[in-house]
Amino acid sequence: MAAARYWRLVPRGPGLSLHTAAAAAVTAPEMIGPAVAAAPVARYPPIVASLKAKSKAARQRRVERWQAMVHAAESVDEKLRILTKMQFMKYVVYPQTFALNADRWYQGFTKTVFLSGLPPPPAEPAPAPAPALDLAALRAAACDCLLQEHFFLRRKGRPPLYREYETIGSPFLDQLVAALMGLLSAHNPALAAAALDCKRPVHFYWLRGEEIIPCGHRKGRVDALRYQINDKPNNQIRMSKQLPEFVPLDYSVPIEIPVMNCKPDKLPLFKRQYENTIFIGSKTADPYCYGHTQFHLLPDKFKRERLLKKNCADQIEVVFRANAIASLFAWTGAQAMYQGFWSEADVTRPFVSQGVVTDGKYFSFFCYQLNTLALTTQADKNNPRKNICWGTQNIDCYVKICLG
Amino acid sequence: MALASGPARRALARPGRLGLGGCGAPRRGAYEWGVRSTRKPEPPPRDRVYEIPGLEPITYAGKMHFMPGLARPVFPPWDPGWTHPKFRRLPPIHEQPLYKDQACYVFHQRCRLLEGVKQALWLTKAKLIEGLPKKVLGLVEDPRNHIENQDERVLNVISHARLWHSTEDIPKRETYCPVIVDSLIQLCKSQILKHPSLAKRICAQNYRLSTTWNRESLLLQVRGSSGARLNAKDPLPPIASREEVEATKNHVLETFYPISPTIDLQECNVYDVEDDTGFREGYPYPYPHTLYFLETANLRPHRFQPDQLRAKMILFAFGNALAQARLLYGNDTKVLEQPVVVQSVGTDGRVFQFLVLQLNTTDLASNEGVKNLVWVDSDQLLYQHFWCLPVVKKKVVVKNEDILANTDKTSECPQLFEMRLVSSLQPTFPEGHCNSPGKRQEEPTREEKADAPTQSSILLCAGNKNCGQPGALHLVISLINSDPCSPNISGRAAEKRCPFNKTLSTYIVHKLQCIIITFFFPLLIQNQTTR
Repeated sequence: MAAARYWRLVPRGPGLSLHTAAAAAVTAPEMIGPAVAAAPVARYPPIVASLKAKSKAARQRRVERWQAMVHAAESVDEKLRILTKMQFMKYVVYPQTFALNADRWYQGFTKTVFLSGLPPPPAEPAPAPAPALDLAALRAAACDCLLQEHFFLRRKGRPPLYREYETIGSPFLDQLVAALMGLLSAHNPALAAAALDCKRPVHFYWLRGEEIIPCGHRKGRVDALRYQINDKPNNQIRMSKQLPEFVPLDYSVPIEIPVMNCKPDKLPLFKRQYENTIFIGSKTADPYCYGHTQFHLLPDKFKRERLLKKNCADQIEVVFRANAIASLFAWTGAQAMYQGFWSEADVTRPFVSQGVVTDGKYFSFFCYQLNTLALTTQADKNNPRKNICWGTQNIDCYVKICLG
Repeated sequence: MALASGPARRALARPGRLGLGGCGAPRRGAYEWGVRSTRKPEPPPRDRVYEIPGLEPITYAGKMHFMPGLARPVFPPWDPGWTHPKFRRLPPIHEQPLYKDQACYVFHQRCRLLEGVKQALWLTKAKLIEGLPKKVLGLVEDPRNHIENQDERVLNVISHARLWHSTEDIPKRETYCPVIVDSLIQLCKSQILKHPSLAKRICAQNYRLSTTWNRESLLLQVRGSSGARLNAKDPLPPIASREEVEATKNHVLETFYPISPTIDLQECNVYDVEDDTGFREGYPYPYPHTLYFLETANLRPHRFQPDQLRAKMILFAFGNALAQARLLYGNDTKVLEQPVVVQSVGTDGRVFQFLVLQLNTTDLASNEGVKNLVWVDSDQLLYQHFWCLPVVKKKVVVKNEDILANTDKTSECPQLFEMRLVSSLQPTFPEGHCNSPGKRQEEPTREEKADAPTQSSILLCAGNKNCGQPGALHLVISLINSDPCSPNISGRAAEKRCPFNKTLSTYIVHKLQCIIITFFFPLLIQNQTTR
């Protein structure tokens, strides 16, 4: 307001436009500024860009005001509300997708580096000698779960069409997770106290990259790309204590993240506008706000025989990897946002979670470490951190179930 | 007469059967005919040649076209040689392979018995004992079985199920009921370090049970799948001693004449008498331990009443026990030396029912002799009320999201949970009863309140306004002045407050206000003039 008043006082020459006059007006007090700053009290209010003008400076000021509002929010719920309340068209990312080479695309969307194999074991040994892992008991429990679902339990009628794997695989996974949690709680007492969710949704909303709007009343303007993941893992284990990091926060991986030269629409990825949600499986008030492991079951659409029939043998691994990257990024990102971090307030500690993706017979194990949430163009300018995902190949759980 | 055709003609031809009592109601066999518009036209009547014996009718079948003077050929019904699954017609009931003359009364998971527990006890020849057995309660009291931070963890479980586990503001019962049961079981399983026998159990969903037994010339059957079943490697030990079992000989089963004991059971003539535990031979966890029954319907009429739920629990536990007994000891009817014990937990997310059934005898045909024993602990509330949204009175938050525990019996909460823990603890102990820490029960009030908001919130608003003016004027003024945030309701009623806060509802309220004003204005004027 003072600036506006000042502009009116400045006489505008015939050749000067409003902008230059404003610039002159802006620079003039700055020259006087140092002289004025010498005095302890500034005599004039700060000169800032307009708030409602149709200018880049005004837009920048509005963006900064919104970001300041998020920074100043008192509770995490309020922060999430401010970040997600405006709905715009966004890409809906499906972790379980038939798209070819989806894992490379998803790495680009989530700034993730994929490393095969499992992460390096922690440097220090375990503080207390843990009891020996009773592999035989674990194997017996797994066999019992498998046989119960595949053979012993008499089900009524045939499973619905194209859902045979899910009808057997989903209860099998439930039983397996429950059994393993019970047996392994001797080694990890935190597992005994962990929360187990069955088929609870996990949502995450983030911005990454920019595009020029091709058509519409905002044509030609730069707009951020928004993504939303709505995932439903078969089971997930949540704990009240965070898992320790695998590698330091600023660990630099020499591998480059794949860069795709076309728009995400080519994946195919489609835009929709609906509620932006960020959800780890339970609300912010839950003390069990850190994730441990997720278990995903691939539907019949992605079973091996079907992919082989479509000549997509190389896509079998891709399906598992894409599912793990997307789901675990969404989960760890949501966990980080529950702690108050967001793209302008990057994480100060890495968020770590694990995942197991299976189609009933073949299992793949993944570990994910979220090092950065700053994925927007503005925040990613000088951000060397990358998220890391370790993953194994498909390991078959059993060779064959012999009936009778 | 020529104008009438088909069923109308039939109706005219047999006027005596036209409508039941002449009121136009359809005849009993009406639905056998099928819908008139899609009914196939009746075939024309056969020629009289076919009725005259000894005559060989000459038909135009060979000529492949109609010929006046020749008889209409009668062809055998065409058999296509294959059946399309969509158009497969089942043979009539009398010709089905499993048809039997004796009717069987089947109890399935949606049977709501009229006489509830009494009827279930008669059907299973059992004696009811209120309260859980002392052995179980002893395990409840045992401090070794307590979980650390039990109250806090149970409160977390309840909050998680009722509020946190879903993105909605108020999760529905269909989601929160299974979540609460699973979380409590998970909490019990967390004691696996103290009680390693918890590892010798496995849960099975969607199992199919089928057992048949005779009861005073009635053939009864329990069939179907209902909820989850916890199986164990070792059987539960018997609870009642031999003497108590012998003492049941003197007990007389309660009858409820004139109501038949088979009321609300499904009567059918096509059934299979084979017993089926739901699992094949060689199953490593053959003994049923606990059954879980969840009433998850959102609407109260769709849920079972507590008495009906208890009856269902008794019958399914009995069915499981009977199938197990027959598997172990054969099909002969006798008094069991090693009684079979099965436990059961039924809930609708807040009210819990616990049950222990001990099958002492498979001789169920007569009313005398040893009876089976049933211990029931009914209507245990885990919590009394749960507010999902803050209660706002006059724009001031009076109560935040909170759970109201039982204020009367402060120790019931841990007990209820203990029961659940106990039930899942040791297979060798009958603790299996789920003693969930007494969830405080204030549900009854909540149920009532829940019904209230479904009525017009406008009336509630009007009622809440402390306006001295009577009649229509009062209603109008209170409607105009009604504050979206002021309704004086809590709990589930608070959920119904939402309509006022939503823009569509405020629009509707505004519209109603306008309508009411236009309607009531003349009344107001009348009132004022008459005064």
